[in-house]
Amino acid sequence: MSDSNVKTEIDLIGINVDTSCSYDCANCERYFECQWPQKEDFLKHGFYPLAKENLKNVKRKILVLGGKGGVGKSMLATNLAAALAKLGKKVCVLDQNYDCPAVPIMLGIEGKKLLTGKNGFIPAEGAGGVKVVSMGLILSPDEVIIWFHDSKRAATEEFLTNVDFGELDYLIFDIPAGTSSETVNVMKLIPDMDGSIVITVPSEVSQNVAKRAILVSERAHVPVLGVIENMGPFTCPDCGEVVGILQSGGGGRLAREMGAEYWGSIPMDLEVSSSLDHGNPFVLQDEDFVGTRVIMTAAQKLIKKYE
Amino acid sequence: MSEERTVLKINVDLNCDHKCERCEKFFECDDDIKWKIYGRRRMARAARTMKKIKYKVAVGGGKGGVGKSTTTANLAVALAQLGYKVSVLDQDFDGSTIPKLFGVMDKRMKLGEKGLKPVEGLLGIQMVSLGLIQKESEVVTMFHDMRRGTTEEFLAHVDYGERDFLLVDLPPGTSSDAVNLMQYIPDLNGLVVVTIPPYVSQLAAKKAAQIAMKAETPVLGIIENMSGYVCHKCGSEFDVLQRGGGEKLAEELGVNFLGRIPLNKQLSEASDAGEPFVYKYPDNPGTKGMMDIATRLVKVLEEGV
Repeated sequence: MSDSNVKTEIDLIGINVDTSCSYDCANCERYFECQWPQKEDFLKHGFYPLAKENLKNVKRKILVLGGKGGVGKSMLATNLAAALAKLGKKVCVLDQNYDCPAVPIMLGIEGKKLLTGKNGFIPAEGAGGVKVVSMGLILSPDEVIIWFHDSKRAATEEFLTNVDFGELDYLIFDIPAGTSSETVNVMKLIPDMDGSIVITVPSEVSQNVAKRAILVSERAHVPVLGVIENMGPFTCPDCGEVVGILQSGGGGRLAREMGAEYWGSIPMDLEVSSSLDHGNPFVLQDEDFVGTRVIMTAAQKLIKKYE
Repeated sequence: MSEERTVLKINVDLNCDHKCERCEKFFECDDDIKWKIYGRRRMARAARTMKKIKYKVAVGGGKGGVGKSTTTANLAVALAQLGYKVSVLDQDFDGSTIPKLFGVMDKRMKLGEKGLKPVEGLLGIQMVSLGLIQKESEVVTMFHDMRRGTTEEFLAHVDYGERDFLLVDLPPGTSSDAVNLMQYIPDLNGLVVVTIPPYVSQLAAKKAAQIAMKAETPVLGIIENMSGYVCHKCGSEFDVLQRGGGEKLAEELGVNFLGRIPLNKQLSEASDAGEPFVYKYPDNPGTKGMMDIATRLVKVLEEGV
């Protein structure tokens, strides 16, 4: 009797994890896929009403996403904020990166501490008059903390309900890499997020991950306002040869594929990383740099859209 | 009178509920009860699976986009070319890039008699990744328990067999996924830290190293990626990202400096084409850098230097 037709390999449909619903909407990671009509009930209690009240004088809330690590999310969040401030707007950056907060460094206030007043935490002020709220302004540099999901959620809730933002034109969220905790927590607590700006680098590897970030944004009904490409072609300062070290055209392709507006490409340039390390946003330093023009244009597009 | 006071700490719950698997203070905890987690069924199974693998090395760095995945993939190829049997575990669940780097995005892992079967690619390298299980544009949002569960599955129920190396590609950050791994493979040989020159990246790399030290995982060495750029037309050399930080960090932490890899267009071209550059471009300076690093790494592991 032949056993040759017995299948010894089975296709995997999913990974073996518990997927039963415990109606704990506040803590559920499948919140945005869930079709249960009463899932929004959890918003009536707990942190959501407190966050809503606390953010009532914040006119617009924007997410900076990328999905992929190291594409320039913090660079964009800080420079976009500086650009808006330069155009006369009141702006604050909320740094959602708990593991390695870099926003204070990029805005020149590394080492400053967050103060607390009678209305809550007081955002620190960085380069260009941009306000900053970040774990980097609370932890000391030698303090090494391991953040699991619950601590991150608790910290996000603290930031959204206990910071005295005051009157703001724009609150910009710097969301770290990934499509989990930090991204979803904020989208859940702020159902009226105005939009997200997605940043990617040209390589396909990065675009594949950026696509997922866009899908999360769309699933949470946060419109993708535009896609910006970073680390575009590098121009040799000596011979002028232009090279796409990380390939080229990826930002435009991603925008087209996902039906989003393409807001331009910031070239790879020593000026960018140097300005970040020194806490001097390049939009405030060099008007002629292509990157500055791309970000100033993005800031103007936002202002035109909302005002 | 000033009403402003400095914020000293953030308000998080510090009570112990004896749920050691969920505890982020695992490594600092002195309570012996924490070792009980290794007796649990899946953990015990993970220990047995891992025993058949000679060297288990995590590749991390804290900062995103420094080249952890690219380094893991190319280190795997370098080691395979040196004759070793290598497996790669993609611990980056949100942004898994290992399948793309090896050109196996359309392959899927299957369930065999002895457990989950890794996908086999170039030079017999085995790959385990969430990207090889999910559908292509499926997005994953996982909080702690699902990540821990997935890590356990990948360590306990995958039929790796007997291998010389397991390289684990860690995601950016210094939390759940990195820590879960260090908890679940208590005999992890060590962590290789990948960094790039900028200060912001050095800070993250330092933190990653400090967490490894907290977990008593040896830091095997530091790799400086994107270290300098040579214009292929005129030959001028540039520091697009200010060179040298990797060596300084290695010195500061008292660990080995394993080597550097310069920026070069062919490296990302190879990644996008799904063929690690060490294999596709054997004459590239980056390839030479990686082969040197592989040799040095083997030496560190064998001699405990």
